[in-house]
Amino acid sequence: MEWANDGKSKGGVLAHLERLEIQVNRSHKNLEDPQRAQAVEHALRTKIHKLRCLRDELRSKVKRRQARVRASIANEEPDQTQEISEQEVAERRQENVKAILQAYRFTGLSGKLTSRGVCVCISTAFEGNLLDSYFIDLVLQKPLWIHHHSIPIFIPLEEISAKYLQTNIQRFLFCLCEYLNAYAGRKYQADRLQSDFAAYLARPLQRNPLCNLLSFTYKVELRGQFLFCARLLYKDLTTTLPTDVTITYPEMDALPPSWEEQRASHENLFFTKPLHQVFTSFARKGEKLDVTQV
Amino acid sequence: MDAQRAEVCALEAEIAALRRACEEPRAAGEDAGLVQKSLREIYPSDSEGWASSKDLQSHLEHLESELLFLSTLTGINIRNYSMKTEDLTSTEKTEKSIKKVLQKHRLSGNCHMITFQLEFEILEIQNKESLSSVITDLNIIMEPTEYSELSEFVSRAEERRDLLMFFRSLRFFVEWCDYRKRTFQHLKDKYPEVVHLPEGAASSCMGVRSACQPGFELVVVWRMHMEEEGKVFPKLDLLPKVPQQALELDQHHILETAPLRFRTLLGVLGIEAALESLITSLCPADNQFPANTQREDKLAQPFES
Repeated sequence: MEWANDGKSKGGVLAHLERLEIQVNRSHKNLEDPQRAQAVEHALRTKIHKLRCLRDELRSKVKRRQARVRASIANEEPDQTQEISEQEVAERRQENVKAILQAYRFTGLSGKLTSRGVCVCISTAFEGNLLDSYFIDLVLQKPLWIHHHSIPIFIPLEEISAKYLQTNIQRFLFCLCEYLNAYAGRKYQADRLQSDFAAYLARPLQRNPLCNLLSFTYKVELRGQFLFCARLLYKDLTTTLPTDVTITYPEMDALPPSWEEQRASHENLFFTKPLHQVFTSFARKGEKLDVTQV
Repeated sequence: MDAQRAEVCALEAEIAALRRACEEPRAAGEDAGLVQKSLREIYPSDSEGWASSKDLQSHLEHLESELLFLSTLTGINIRNYSMKTEDLTSTEKTEKSIKKVLQKHRLSGNCHMITFQLEFEILEIQNKESLSSVITDLNIIMEPTEYSELSEFVSRAEERRDLLMFFRSLRFFVEWCDYRKRTFQHLKDKYPEVVHLPEGAASSCMGVRSACQPGFELVVVWRMHMEEEGKVFPKLDLLPKVPQQALELDQHHILETAPLRFRTLLGVLGIEAALESLITSLCPADNQFPANTQREDKLAQPFES
């Protein structure tokens, strides 16, 4: 025995007993603890495993979410362009329709819908020259009526409305269009004569507001002193060529035959050609004469 | 074991953090509205665009209805239109006050069955006192049609660069053609035995033949005359087709004077009634309709002559 052999053992019996007890306890403990520890460790491992799984799941979930958010932000560009392209289509169509609506002025009739009806714009032109436009604001209710308009007072608007306004608005506007274009055309011709060929006129041209009666005295030749007096009447208010032309010679009782011939040819010219064009042809003839005289 | 416990603690902390992270983006980044909101802050102009998208749509609808109204009113349907401008203002000092702009227009569309394509240039000259706009070039391209009257009219419009007259006359022309077609069709329906339309109702010819007088035919040629100034008038001619023997028997020159008499008839009765009286004169008596029913189905004539 240890203690017998070692008589000098420390602490004596009690201490030895204590040591033994500790040893026993320890051995006991050693017997129980591994089991307990194993159980705890197992539980922990399971827990860690579960937590790791959960964490991984959450991590990937967060990743997916972040990716989606990133994607949705990144996708805003294409989304936006898609949205814009739809909008662009609408905007382009709008611009296109606006332009076409504007282009209707070349047909002579354009306009805008108003809350009560329509405001029609009537454009006028003489040959290639685009002239004034007039508007007429119509209230589309029975009976149809004209709210406002800018049509000159001497255009027989009342007569035209009485004829067509209640029965056929199209014909009403076409008719008005004809009157206004013819007026604009006659006025244009008279204006051109006055502005471009003033040198031919012995005195200012006289006209009525409708420009359907013009009278002027002109030099037959620019350098000559001989005068013709012309009176142009446009009975049909929808025409730009006169229905009656009379040329007289105020300063002489009778004309030599060659002049009489010229008078007749001038009358014919006024019947068939616009006024300023007749004078253009006179001017051209004059130039030719000048050349031959040289 | 302590290490394991520490790992558990770490995992639990991470999980809690991840859970928070999972919930946060739902409230912030993922919401489309919020994304848009943030983008709107970046592009403020677009936010207005989005807001007014509905306004745009309703405005567009308004414009479309205006377009429909104008095409119905004018009878002219403009399908495409574009315009380019070119500044021709001279750089020379003396001419600086005069502004010159050349507009190049292209326009295509149709007036009922007639399609057209136009190219024209407008020179705008603006000085201190006035603005003048002149069409300097006009090209009209039309698909060939059965209407031979049109080609002369088109070249006249081009020569005069009279765009407005072109549209005005085209409209009147189409209306007259439509009236002619309706009249021919109406007469054919009413007198199917006598009225013959060899080239269809849309053509300018109508033949009147009676079974009682074989070999005898009255041909009506109805053309549209397009005047210099752009006015459109119907022009009707009567051509009697008669066997030689009948001509020899015609001592009172009735057939010879028929075209002239037809003109007079037109002047008195108007187109439809004149044609009808021509037909009934060749028709067997039992085919004739009492005068009052004839009046009722009178067609609307486009323009009073």
